[in-house]
Amino acid sequence: MKNKLKVFRIIKNLTQEQLADKLNVSRQTVIAIESGKYLPSLGLAFKIATFFKVNIENIFIYNQQEE
Amino acid sequence: MNIKKYEKIKSSVIIFIITIITISIFSKLYLLAVVGILTGILFFSIVRFKTDINIDEREQEIKEKAANITYAIFVPTISIGSFLLLVPSLSKLSVFFKGEFIFTETLGVIFAYLTLFLITVYTISYFFLNRKFGGKSDEK
Repeated sequence: MKNKLKVFRIIKNLTQEQLADKLNVSRQTVIAIESGKYLPSLGLAFKIATFFKVNIENIFIYNQQEE
Repeated sequence: MNIKKYEKIKSSVIIFIITIITISIFSKLYLLAVVGILTGILFFSIVRFKTDINIDEREQEIKEKAANITYAIFVPTISIGSFLLLVPSLSKLSVFFKGEFIFTETLGVIFAYLTLFLITVYTISYFFLNRKFGGKSDEK
């Protein structure tokens, strides 16, 4: 699973700390998601998509070959 | 987890460690005291002492995995330990102390009870959590 969270965050001109505050998670979680080391829950993924006002698949790209 | 609950857990762990260290010093069990002090240092250096406690889903997942690993390591270690302590004392094999089996047997029994207690707690909590999170089918 790849994601474009960093791209969307930079477009919105937010720091990792600021995004973490908006999503009510820790900065480490934002770092882990951006680096692809942590897959967020469906709830958090929707929260991220809602925050950036895009569809969930615009941020998270499912790669079947990786699974 | 709110800050009040976090402070309670933190205080309980600190009290437990201090009690163990005190008892072990008075009982002249210096190895246990050293282990207690090292555990205390580890606890203080790793556990966060921030005023804002925000346990998010990633930290929750880490805690779950850490608990799983702890269980997976602790139970086999203690169960093997109980066998190693009980079998020589029953078979009168001189493995640990020549002619003195009473302490190894007692320790083996404690380890065996501890293993059984852990397995029971795990099984019961698994059963109830499985029910809570919908593991039971409601199809007729």
